[in-house]
Amino acid sequence: MMDMGTKTSHRRPAAQKGLSAKHREWIAGYLFVAPDAIGLLLFLGLPMALSLLLAVYEVNGFGGYRFFGMANFVRMANDPLFWSAARVTALYAAILVPLLYVCGLGLALLVQKTNRFNAVMRSMFFAPHMVSLVVVALVWQFMVVDKIGVINKLTPFLGIEGISFLGDPQFALLTVVFVSVWFLMGFYMLIFLGGLQDIPREYYEAATIDGAGPIACFWYITLPLLKPTSFFVIMVSMVAAVAGSQAFDIIYVMTKGGPANSTSVLIVYIYQQAFAFGAFGYAAAMSSILVVVLMLVTAIFFVMTKGGRFNYE
Amino acid sequence: MTDTKKEQHDISRRQLIKRAGLLAGTGVAAGLTGFPYINRLAVRAQDAPLKFWQFYAPGGQVSSQVEWFTQMIADWNDSHDQKVELEYVPNAEYINGPKLATSFASGEGPDVFLISPGDFLRYYNGGVLQDLTPHIDDATKTDFPESVIANRMVDGKIYGIPMEVEPMAMYYSVKAFEEAGLNENDVPKTWDELLEVAKKLTTPNRYGVLFETQPGYYQNFTWYPFLWQGGGEFQAKDGKSAFDSPATVQALKFWQDAVKSGAAPRQVLGNGANDTIANLAAGYCAVQNVGIWGISQLAGNAKDFEYGVFRLPTPANGKYVTVGGGWAFVANAKGKNPDAAAQFCAWALASMDKGSVQRVADWCTKAKSDMPPRNSALKAGGDAFEKGNIGAFAKNIHPGTRAEPRVPPEVYKIISDAIQQTQLGGADPQQTATAASQQLDAFLASYSGAPIL
Repeated sequence: MMDMGTKTSHRRPAAQKGLSAKHREWIAGYLFVAPDAIGLLLFLGLPMALSLLLAVYEVNGFGGYRFFGMANFVRMANDPLFWSAARVTALYAAILVPLLYVCGLGLALLVQKTNRFNAVMRSMFFAPHMVSLVVVALVWQFMVVDKIGVINKLTPFLGIEGISFLGDPQFALLTVVFVSVWFLMGFYMLIFLGGLQDIPREYYEAATIDGAGPIACFWYITLPLLKPTSFFVIMVSMVAAVAGSQAFDIIYVMTKGGPANSTSVLIVYIYQQAFAFGAFGYAAAMSSILVVVLMLVTAIFFVMTKGGRFNYE
Repeated sequence: MTDTKKEQHDISRRQLIKRAGLLAGTGVAAGLTGFPYINRLAVRAQDAPLKFWQFYAPGGQVSSQVEWFTQMIADWNDSHDQKVELEYVPNAEYINGPKLATSFASGEGPDVFLISPGDFLRYYNGGVLQDLTPHIDDATKTDFPESVIANRMVDGKIYGIPMEVEPMAMYYSVKAFEEAGLNENDVPKTWDELLEVAKKLTTPNRYGVLFETQPGYYQNFTWYPFLWQGGGEFQAKDGKSAFDSPATVQALKFWQDAVKSGAAPRQVLGNGANDTIANLAAGYCAVQNVGIWGISQLAGNAKDFEYGVFRLPTPANGKYVTVGGGWAFVANAKGKNPDAAAQFCAWALASMDKGSVQRVADWCTKAKSDMPPRNSALKAGGDAFEKGNIGAFAKNIHPGTRAEPRVPPEVYKIISDAIQQTQLGGADPQQTATAASQQLDAFLASYSGAPIL
């Protein structure tokens, strides 16, 4: 009881200084998020800032740093391999994101009803996501190998013969996209399942009474009400396509960016510059640009969708 | 008392927040202003053993190689105060992986490590290679043939001591030859003959001949002899690019034709085209372009596999030459004790002491199947270099060996892209050679490191 009195008397000076209850609540809120914010600042913000700083240095990889101004960015502008990697990245994302959307949503629609069979199917579709990316890449690499791979043994039945899935620049990127979709679609299926289960059943019942068929229900109820989920899926899959670990791991293990740079996406090229050639400054410059472009694209998405808030009126 | 304590507690909590904020701010500021010296804060114990990074021991899979390394370290540690400790780095992590690169970038590079000629300039130009010359006597210096030691030297000083010479050749499956109605008399001597034989050896489940397809230092290494055989070079004596030449075009076209004909694959198995077990012994190809190490690979993992070796075929207008790779011991000039590290390298591989000579001979005959980098080790190896397939290498293949070039990463990449674009991308060899040559000239004009050899 004596403590209570002490507290009251102690807080009075703060109130006298003009700190209202609202302000105190505001400060308390920030203090609550402070541990997380400080962690993010130290382990994410600071490395990002240092990386940006690295971009204006020439770094030889052996402790030698020389201020380089904008030279790394000028080199980037004149580097045909950078632009080639940017093109491959854009192509990879342009194919991967829609495919992931369609496959994720398609699988979610297939298994959305809750029963034992669907529970097993959901687990099966999600199973690839539980496997190490390196293992996934190695297994698929072996399956699509020329002449003796399982896929090359099966394709003649479809009238397709002699394709080198990873050795021909025409097919290598498509093969990598296929493996990426196979790996990721289970994850996006789960996200869409969550979105589908948020749609009230009454809407479908009312539409059915009014004579709507499954296609009309999907087109006029499911798809519009899945807009927030779709927004999330597109955003996350786009970031995954450009800078995700699956993009790097699968490509690095399966093709190392070849053949003839046909699968050399930006993060593979950045890795190569940093760790194979020791050009850490140049790699940091490319990383910075990649982050800026990703932030810009994300910002445009947010502006277009008013921050992901959708008006269903 | 209670009131007083509480008051003190409240005050200290605010102070704590203020001080924590101050500390965090100071940390961030120190981090920013301390950059780029942050990576130099490493503290090392002065009495700690020197770290020797390599991909053979103690975690390696070939017991004879593990034993060789372990015995060498035990012998050194028994007779020296400054101890050395082996640290195993898996092959994939070591050769193309980030471990070595990041360790040096953070100021934590190993004291002793292995490098190939392909990586020599990167580390030399980075200033981390210790001069080993003071620890090598004159008799030992002359024991290394010029062709073996030259690409580890700058301005007359030795910066790396080779432990082996690994010439490239062609291996063939006796069974595949017999199935195709061929025998050892049909071994091809020219490029055209090789393509013809390869077509005969190609079946629905097997390729006739296999060259490396994955981009990397190794692919360049295996392609160089085909460039040289026609008299080609990537750099002329005046320092400018010599890549735009008929020899380059025909070498690029040769590999392209092999793939286009369907006799060579676009993809290789296992660890790559240096892996005879996953490719030749597994029946994926009938003839494989691989180095002398294939002998120990096959002896250790496919004892019953029958094979033969023959030297690289030449173009119609060319002369025989092959490339000899091989790893070398180097000491870190920025390590804990560079002088002791250099002394260790010289003691292990470059002394006229009987133990040093025998160690090199044992590595090349017992632990591995390689040609020795020293004349004395060749003698010490005795008839081990005269029998079987090693004998074939010593007699027919090795005499035409030219050392693997040392090039900066930028040059490697330009050549690698040219090979990839023609071999797998179907690009025109002449146009590719011309474009690559222009890129080389642009780079060479601004290059200021140690000479490219």
